[in-house]
Amino acid sequence: MLALSGIRKTFNPGTVNEVRALQGVDLTIEPGSFVIVLGMNGSGKSTLLNAVAGSFYVDEGTIRLANHDVTKWPEHKRAKLIGRVFQNPFSGTAPTMSIAENFALASRRGHARGLGWALSPHLMKPLRERIATLKMGLEGRLDNAIGSLSGGQRQALTLLMATWLKPELLLLDEHTAALDPKSADQVIQLSDEVIQRDNLTTLMVTHSMQQAVSLGDRIIMMHRGRVLHDIRGAEKKRLRPEDLLDRFDEVRRRELLDESAAAMLNELYI
Amino acid sequence: MTLLIGALIIGLILSLLALGVLVSFRIFSMPDITTDGSITLGASIAAILLVKGVNPVLATAAGALGGAAAGAVTGILHTKFKINSLLSGILVMTALYSVNLHVMGRSNVPLMQATTVASYGEHLGEWLAGGKTIHILGWPVSSADAAVLFLALLFTTAAGAAMFAFFRTQLGTAMRATGDNPQMIRALGANVELNIILGLALSNGFVALAGALLAQYQGFADAQMGIGMVVWGLASVIIGEALTGTRSLGLTIVGTIMGSVLFRLLVAIALRWGLNPNDLKLITALFVFAALVLPGFLDRFKPRPTSAT
Ligand SMILES: Nc1ncnc2c1ncn2[C@@H]1O[C@H](COP(=O)(O)OP(=O)(O)OP(=O)(O)O)[C@@H](O)[C@H]1O
Ligand SMILES: [Mg+2]
Repeated sequence: MLALSGIRKTFNPGTVNEVRALQGVDLTIEPGSFVIVLGMNGSGKSTLLNAVAGSFYVDEGTIRLANHDVTKWPEHKRAKLIGRVFQNPFSGTAPTMSIAENFALASRRGHARGLGWALSPHLMKPLRERIATLKMGLEGRLDNAIGSLSGGQRQALTLLMATWLKPELLLLDEHTAALDPKSADQVIQLSDEVIQRDNLTTLMVTHSMQQAVSLGDRIIMMHRGRVLHDIRGAEKKRLRPEDLLDRFDEVRRRELLDESAAAMLNELYI
Repeated sequence: MTLLIGALIIGLILSLLALGVLVSFRIFSMPDITTDGSITLGASIAAILLVKGVNPVLATAAGALGGAAAGAVTGILHTKFKINSLLSGILVMTALYSVNLHVMGRSNVPLMQATTVASYGEHLGEWLAGGKTIHILGWPVSSADAAVLFLALLFTTAAGAAMFAFFRTQLGTAMRATGDNPQMIRALGANVELNIILGLALSNGFVALAGALLAQYQGFADAQMGIGMVVWGLASVIIGEALTGTRSLGLTIVGTIMGSVLFRLLVAIALRWGLNPNDLKLITALFVFAALVLPGFLDRFKPRPTSAT
């Protein structure tokens, strides 16, 4: 289970570049829940995921994950509990190392790394079988550098790496945004399969309304560093893409209203 | 012949330095100038211990450990204090200059009387051959020199194999990934800072090992002996890459050792033909410059490949 309470994060505080990226996020996610995170550009979706993963420490609030208070844990320590796939296909793999070596690294996530051989025979057999299920013809290329693969192939492998050891939480930040539509569909389908099979607690950021309505059991919509809507249960099941677009329109109208109100106040008082 | 054997032995000893530079420069993409100070540190520690009568193997190991410590300091400056990697190396190299003078107590320690690993090798050679000279392919060769060359070859091969093996362990692959993609390996739970510190310690340990052995072979340690050595190491790595390519780590390691030996041979020949020794560092630097710039320069004349991703 993931529990966030009162999370705040301000970048570059006290400067002209100050950004209040998270302004008090409270969120509890039950084990096995698959949550879609929506929101406009700059609403704080990536910042939320990075805060959970520990890319930086939050200014205020606490983060609990799987019965640990991880608020003060450094990123590499939290990685014991968290699997991640990034937006950029280059981010999730070590390009000059082979497919097998990349998985060897993933198979030690959260464990001490000693002087045992990285490529153990225990790893190779299940690895070949698992990669064969992708039907990408990669099972015969385990010794090839992972940098020689396409973006879609890399994202599929990164997803398998992130979930090779079952994580307490899976973080997916627009992990198909950089892919062509066909590869994106493939990776989305694979993600859904893995998440259902292992019953993974998941936070997935996307801009696709289609994905948002067809995947997951809960949607949160971020706006200006806060959770604006939280849609779950029967309501989530009934939801159509048009309903979501309506909510986005509403957000946009409110934004304009805010701006015109600010302009009026400016005129009146300055 | 003696000249040739001497060049081969020094080339082999310095290939340990080149392997150290391979780790910092190619695996961590950090040209680490700590090298210039740590080779001298290795030589100083070994020399002063040898003069005191310490066992040569222990003295050599102590020199290597000293270098590893220096590398760790550079790593700590870079990762914990967020100092630019090049500047961290410069700071440690500069500090090491004083440290080395303190270790030696003066700027030069001769080892003529001391028992060294080199004198072990010489005795072994004479004992095995039963005389001062042996014949290799009809050439008369000092059996002492032949034995030292053989031991140097054996030791370098073992060191290269050990490095290769290390980089295939769980820790070693995590270190390679640290240089390749720190974001990825952090997300897989490795401590990137610690890996960089360990990697620079390993690199400078190899460098200082080369220093300790070089001092024993040439018969002295000198405060100036490290100047320009990182560039020497880079040159060896680059020649090695031209010889064996970079397709696999094993090939790169073999290439680096070959590159160091070949470079030393070329230098010996050039000096024999009347190259002014004062120009050596200039030529080495120009060589590395050309090797770094030429590939990019040549690419401009090739048709641009379309992006792969
Ligand atoms: N490391 C950082 N330093 C400074 N500002 C940052 C940093 N990371 C994010 N921000 C700012 O915080 C705000 C929220 O950014 P975030 O990346 O979380 O948005 P997002 O919802 O993921 O948007 P998108 O849909 O474009 O990915 C933005 O204004 C962004 O510029
Ligand atoms: Mg984002």
